[in-house]
Amino acid sequence: MNGSPPIAGGSFRTAWRRLRRNPAAIGSAIVLFLILFACFPGAPLWVSHACHHGPDDQNIQGTVTENGHKVPVVANDGTPIGPGLRACYLLGADANGRDLFVRLLYGGRVSLEVGITSAVLCVLVALLLGILSAYAGGMTDSVISRFLDLIWSFPVYLLAVALATAFAVNGISIGPLHVASTSLAIPIVVISIVYIPYVARPIRGQVLTLRRMEFIEAAIASGYRPTRIMAVELLPNVASMALVFLTLIVATNILTEAALSFLGVGVPLLTPSWGNIIEQGYQTIVTAPWLTVAPGLAIMLTVVSLNVLGDALRDAFDPHARIRIRG
Amino acid sequence: MTGGMRLLAVVATAAFAATGCASGSSTSGGSGGTAVNGGILQAGIPGNPDHLDPALSYTNEGWEILEATNNGLLTFKKAAGGAGAQVVPDIASAMPTVTDGGKTYTFHVRPGVKFSSPVNRDVRPSDFKFSIERLFRVDSGGVGFFTGIVGANQYAKTRKGGISGIVADDKKGTITFHLSKPDGTFDDYMATPFAFAMPVGTPDKDISTIPQWRIATGPYRITDYVPHQSITIRRNPTFRSWTPDTPNGHLDGIDVHIGVTPEQAVNETADGQLDWYFESVPPDRLTALKKQYPNQVFPFTRNNTTFFVMNERKYPFNKLAVRQAVNYAIDRNALVKIYGGQGTPTENILPPGFGAAYKPHHLYPHDIAKAKQLIQQAGVEGAAVTVWGHNTEPTPAAVQYLAGVLNQIGLKATVKTFDESVYWDTIASEKGDPQIAFNDWNEDYPEAQDWIDVMLNGEHIVNVGNNDISNTNVPAYNKLIDKAKAMPLGPARDAIWAKLDYLLMKNDAGWAPFMNRQWPKFVSSRLHGLVFNGTYFELFPSMWLSH
Repeated sequence: MNGSPPIAGGSFRTAWRRLRRNPAAIGSAIVLFLILFACFPGAPLWVSHACHHGPDDQNIQGTVTENGHKVPVVANDGTPIGPGLRACYLLGADANGRDLFVRLLYGGRVSLEVGITSAVLCVLVALLLGILSAYAGGMTDSVISRFLDLIWSFPVYLLAVALATAFAVNGISIGPLHVASTSLAIPIVVISIVYIPYVARPIRGQVLTLRRMEFIEAAIASGYRPTRIMAVELLPNVASMALVFLTLIVATNILTEAALSFLGVGVPLLTPSWGNIIEQGYQTIVTAPWLTVAPGLAIMLTVVSLNVLGDALRDAFDPHARIRIRG
Repeated sequence: MTGGMRLLAVVATAAFAATGCASGSSTSGGSGGTAVNGGILQAGIPGNPDHLDPALSYTNEGWEILEATNNGLLTFKKAAGGAGAQVVPDIASAMPTVTDGGKTYTFHVRPGVKFSSPVNRDVRPSDFKFSIERLFRVDSGGVGFFTGIVGANQYAKTRKGGISGIVADDKKGTITFHLSKPDGTFDDYMATPFAFAMPVGTPDKDISTIPQWRIATGPYRITDYVPHQSITIRRNPTFRSWTPDTPNGHLDGIDVHIGVTPEQAVNETADGQLDWYFESVPPDRLTALKKQYPNQVFPFTRNNTTFFVMNERKYPFNKLAVRQAVNYAIDRNALVKIYGGQGTPTENILPPGFGAAYKPHHLYPHDIAKAKQLIQQAGVEGAAVTVWGHNTEPTPAAVQYLAGVLNQIGLKATVKTFDESVYWDTIASEKGDPQIAFNDWNEDYPEAQDWIDVMLNGEHIVNVGNNDISNTNVPAYNKLIDKAKAMPLGPARDAIWAKLDYLLMKNDAGWAPFMNRQWPKFVSSRLHGLVFNGTYFELFPSMWLSH
């Protein structure tokens, strides 16, 4: 044990140098950038310049021209048009005559928003609980640790479905604050809650180690207030760990959103998300497999990229670390 | 009754006989030579039936099973097509003697019809009196059928002393029903499962999961029921057929697998693991199945109306212009496509199977501009609306379509879906009370009264088990409905139903009907003897398996 902080600002520069030398990290970062670009600025650009209809526009009775022939977007027997090289309905349509490619782009926005926001919320709360628990010790540590154990004791999806179902009835009401049951905040809150222990416990462990180091003892001896020690001395030293967790947990959260939406308790039905699109498409997986395959591939690509990037970040910050998220 | 699931009916007393009506029925198919006995039918349903108690069940699933296990004094003829609309004697030895100007019905109970073990005795007239009175004690959705019996309303309040208008004489083997006024539909009510015989002493609670009280009189009995898992039906050893309308049945039993999805059912049926499935073929599979298995797909047509229902007591649908706007806004042909083309578009309340009572009208051509204009005129632009629907495909797609259309015309719509097993009860209660919801209705008995009186007569609005989900209550139309109910069957009565259909849609528009749905079925190659009855649906005792 030495008296200086084990991880300092300089470690970010070292990590960045390591990252740049990792082709997998660069590749996954490029893929993620492309996905983010396609979903955020790309979606409205595609709608305004290529196909001219939004993700919710239903065109059941419409037609598209293919090889000089008019083809119905949805046939009389309900079968939607499949993928084809055309500006509209590039990936085909769903049963309601909505453009799958446009919905995929806008659905990606929602899935990424839910995944990223819930991951940020989860990591922030986990940081707060982990640092407080380890630094304060005693009763505070016991209460927080048992609370985390309680959440951890439930299978992730079971707890998520239970919470989402409960909140789906009347939303969330805490004092004057009310979140409607149809709000996107519901899946964000639910997903962030269920993963808090998976982040908070390793952070707590790291802080317990740091807590015994001399630079913390020196800070205490100097009369710094606990809040200052936690914010100024401890937080920067677990920031890199939190960053790695953040990357990994975004991927996990995107998968969880997809799973919850598939089960009908995630993102509200009318809002396109990758999970919702799969849920709405799987009933016709035999006759219109593109409705399920396309969002599935989008999820896979995003999650793999995030995981590769997360692993690369972990290796860059601490090649000997054993950070893993297990759902 | 709601499609797939039957809702509670608060059917008013009525005056007409159902025989002679156009039937809501059907077709028979799958005949593959001479029927043979034996074999266990492998059946599937997506979820639990609501109840397996004749007093409480009000779903198609429940009635299909109970038709095979229990009997009443009368029954609808166990046939398809128009013949299936005819009321014939069952445990009664003959049709009732009607006296006192149509106010007294006297039935003679056939001797020798036995309850299954552990009761093991003949059915008595007092069992029928007990069964009707029990409906009131268990808050059955079917009590509305019997409130016209003298003393029934009093008994509904006190639940003491019995219903004075039912006189059972076990020695003479007769049971007499005294009605407060003539009711031509009384025979039909007595043929519904609500009037099936339950032995005296049956507890005043749901007996679905109490094996010792699942007492059968019919050819089959429910030997085991594990909710969310299975229902086991086997031959009733005490049963002896007494008329052609109480056949022995060909199957040795039925294993009903609960929780089978429509897609799974198609795959398992094609693989020979499943013989019969409660739901229709998923829309996207029908075309291919018809080509690949032309002898195993059967297009059953019911008397059905599929519609969106708007709550006239709730903003913004308390405004006529908004309800009319919804009728203009929906593209009925598009909705039929969502259902895989398995239906015909309609703007009528009544289905085409009701003969002269059905006069097609076209009051609301698809016109989004007109709908937007009406929304603006009503001053409700931006009003928050939640569209309710259940989760059985393709209903979620239909409610999403409606929500999209509502957003298009200036409202702010979201969607809320429920598991179908709880959906119908939820929308029928004041506590649920949706603004706008998916709904559909199949016949309880084959006459227009089952639609217009049951669902649109404001006199029947109740807090729980409310079939008038739109809360339509126009006094002038209520009077006209009452007038029609008091008339004998025939053209004059049908003309009033047709007029009401037109007036309700034009001047009230609490519904947005969009389709008369068909139920194409895909069955195994070894299943034959399919008979589709308008009230009881597919008749298990007629089915047989080739070996």
